Amino acid sequence: MVLTSMNVAVLDRPAKDQVVGVDSAVMSEHTAPASTLSEEIDVAAETEAARRTRFEREALQYVDQLYSAAMRMTRNPQDAEDLVQEAYTKAYSAFHQYKPGTNLKAWLYRILTNTYINIYRKKQRQPQQANTDTVEDWQMAQAAEHTSSGLRSAEAEALDHLPDTDVKEALQQIPEEFRLAVYFSDVEGFAYKEIAEILNIPIGTVMSRLHRGRKLLRNLLSDYARERGFRRPEET
Amino acid sequence: MGTENCRDCESTAEAVERLERIYEYLDGALSRDDINDVQDHLSDCPECASDYDLECLIRSVVKRSCTEQAPETLKLTIIQRISQIKVEARH
Repeated sequence: MVLTSMNVAVLDRPAKDQVVGVDSAVMSEHTAPASTLSEEIDVAAETEAARRTRFEREALQYVDQLYSAAMRMTRNPQDAEDLVQEAYTKAYSAFHQYKPGTNLKAWLYRILTNTYINIYRKKQRQPQQANTDTVEDWQMAQAAEHTSSGLRSAEAEALDHLPDTDVKEALQQIPEEFRLAVYFSDVEGFAYKEIAEILNIPIGTVMSRLHRGRKLLRNLLSDYARERGFRRPEET
Repeated sequence: MGTENCRDCESTAEAVERLERIYEYLDGALSRDDINDVQDHLSDCPECASDYDLECLIRSVVKRSCTEQAPETLKLTIIQRISQIKVEARH
């Protein structure tokens, strides 16, 4: 199986010439296009009804995306729904603070993430720092080596056909800080700087969480793929 | 990341670093010079090229698997909830 031909086209953000340097924002490719309408809005003079209409038009288009992210956070549909509702309620209450023409999607994600951290994580009573600190460097090195020793074509084929449930399960198994960074990058295509703003952490931390999360995920997915591959040898 | 065919990836630490380079390359986070370096390396090194392919595959699989649709009622519930909010602050 030739991997090169099957994958590259699927990716929507290969490195391109226009992106230069992490700190210089890298936003152009990822940022949702700003509505020309909202750039002309005078927020201060806007009536309540007009603002509500604008919110419904511009913010509600991201419901599915926020819901998907909320599912990765809360792990169950009812909590995910509640979280998204709560986040939208907060977003609407703060909508006069949102600057038209800036990245609305990232702004909503930041509110979603904060809401999650403040409400749900508190409810779960999870120690906030435990995850990051328990993943040691040796596990990372092992993750890199593990993969090198061999996810080859048969496993890659199996990986390509992994059921969504396996992939979600693998994601759930990596520590939350890493999971959210990987999710925001791979699924939403946010740039490092945007992820830094959403999670309220430095860009360097975003990068290290992404690196670690990706190595762990790679390792887990290759395990799932192997398992599937062995289970259905006729497909290899 | 293998060590046999890759002259630049002689130790685990270097292999890890090279993999992270591939991540940043795919993230669109490298400078033009670095992009050229990575591309040159990928065309020379089958091991890294296969790592690159694998990373592309993983990302497409993750993206595919995590796209969910919110329940139809959710949007309506939100609209209903925000209609009950009266925002005081104005600037």
